[in-house]
Amino acid sequence: MPRTPFLPHLGARVMPVLLVVLAAVIFVLDTITNFEIAVAVLYVAIVLIAVQHLGRRRVVMVAAGCMALTVLSFALTRTGSVTSGLINCAISLVAIGVTTYLALRAAAAEAAAREAQTQLAHITRVTMLGELMASIAHELNQPLTAIVLNGNATLRWLAARPANPDEAGKAAQRIVRDAERATDLIKRLRGLTRRAANKAIWLDVNQVVADTLTLVQHEAVRNNIALRTELDDDLPLLQADPVQIQQVVLNLALNAFEAVVGGKERDVTLTTGPGKPGEIIVAVSDSGRGLDSVQPDRIFDAFYTTKPEGLGMGLAISRSIVESHGGRIWAEPAMPRGASFFFSLPTGRTKARGSGQ
Amino acid sequence: MSGLASSDSGQIVFVIDDDPAILEALDSLLRSVGLDVSCFGSVAAFLDAPRPDIPSCLVLDVRLPGKSGMDFQKELAGSQAPLPVIIMTGHGDIAMSVQAMKAGAIDFLPKPFREQDLLDAIAAALDKDRSRRAHMAELDALRARLATLSDGERDVVAQVVLGRLNKQIAGDLGVSEITVKVRRARAMRKMQAGSLPELVKMIDRLAAESSARGH
Repeated sequence: MPRTPFLPHLGARVMPVLLVVLAAVIFVLDTITNFEIAVAVLYVAIVLIAVQHLGRRRVVMVAAGCMALTVLSFALTRTGSVTSGLINCAISLVAIGVTTYLALRAAAAEAAAREAQTQLAHITRVTMLGELMASIAHELNQPLTAIVLNGNATLRWLAARPANPDEAGKAAQRIVRDAERATDLIKRLRGLTRRAANKAIWLDVNQVVADTLTLVQHEAVRNNIALRTELDDDLPLLQADPVQIQQVVLNLALNAFEAVVGGKERDVTLTTGPGKPGEIIVAVSDSGRGLDSVQPDRIFDAFYTTKPEGLGMGLAISRSIVESHGGRIWAEPAMPRGASFFFSLPTGRTKARGSGQ
Repeated sequence: MSGLASSDSGQIVFVIDDDPAILEALDSLLRSVGLDVSCFGSVAAFLDAPRPDIPSCLVLDVRLPGKSGMDFQKELAGSQAPLPVIIMTGHGDIAMSVQAMKAGAIDFLPKPFREQDLLDAIAAALDKDRSRRAHMAELDALRARLATLSDGERDVVAQVVLGRLNKQIAGDLGVSEITVKVRRARAMRKMQAGSLPELVKMIDRLAAESSARGH
């Protein structure tokens, strides 16, 4: 099964080694060449690489290390003019310092821009959802109002002296008719979600997980979260809508992030693997506060939320996506602590369930 | 439901809503409590229909095709014969309800509402229209009586209500005191006033009404 390597994961391991090797090369060159040759200026490359991959504090530590190596090289170098060496050493130190400062500032601005973008996307989604809800609420409100009024009318026609069964019957018929109108509306809404699940293609779940992680990688670094993956290479392809599956993984990952932020251990692990025969399971585990404070049978319900600004839609949407693909979604306490969210997707289908409309 | 159980047909409830299901339901519910109902799908249809001159009120939906419920309510409130209005809405907010109540709505009912809230509001609205009509009828009667007075009698009444004595009035008008007494007694009889204070009160009401119209 061809599978692209998960780059961010690889990068997190290799990056420190790469930086150390680079620093060592520069250090050796700087030391063995004479004072007139300012190899130490090349340390700025290390700073620039570090800014791309490490948090602010670590970048400062790397820069400080480079400066220390520059001074050490100066002390160890034996050939050339000491005055030139001193000037070159000072220039290198200033270069490293200024580069670090500017690079960190650029990184901060970039992070702010990205955050603003994320917020905007969130607001747009909430606004759209709000408008959708308002129009659905109004459409349902009309038949519901008519049902309530007809119900009251039925009771009054029956309680009248003499009772008027004819009018009562007509009102009751209208109750049935208006209830059907409300049901039709709900059917139409269901049809909308089903149609959305129609864009199923053959896809590699590991690829979807990897794609999702590139979206949240920055968020993980920013919050000091150790993001790990345990992806099974031998999984079969399955038929599903990649955007929707990615939405589910994203929802679960962001939930996991929120669960670990503020805690000491900030571990989030994404796992893929086989489930029952004909089933692939994706799991998102975190080392967060766990499921103690929630009602496990309600967390997938719409509008159920434990977050102060939560909509209570993320898990509900995830559930409807997974179920429309013929899978299941559930949560369990994780060991030794935290929570694991699982969802399964059926393999060996030629079509995702619900696409037969 | 005091005041609603009457089936004398001397009153009618108008309903305007663009949703036929709501109209049918309201029609049935209001008839089941003995009210006469007349339903319309739009403001235009309501205005086109002839309206009986009996105590009535209007149950009005906010969201309507053509003229909106709120606009029509304001229009009615500023008219010669203001019809008491009860506003219904499917998407009401506080600002809208404040606006409706300020414009003189009897009640503001977000759908779906409790039937008792609607029936209470209708009872209050019909009471209000009934007392407004009684008040107007009384004024009309007074105005009719006043019209039967002769010029001489009217002059005497105008002075009397200012608290002047017969002798002073006779001097001012250049007639005998007996004539003043006769005209005054005849005016009291025509106005059906049992006493001088009653006559003063009647004239005050007519004056207040005409000055209110002047504005």
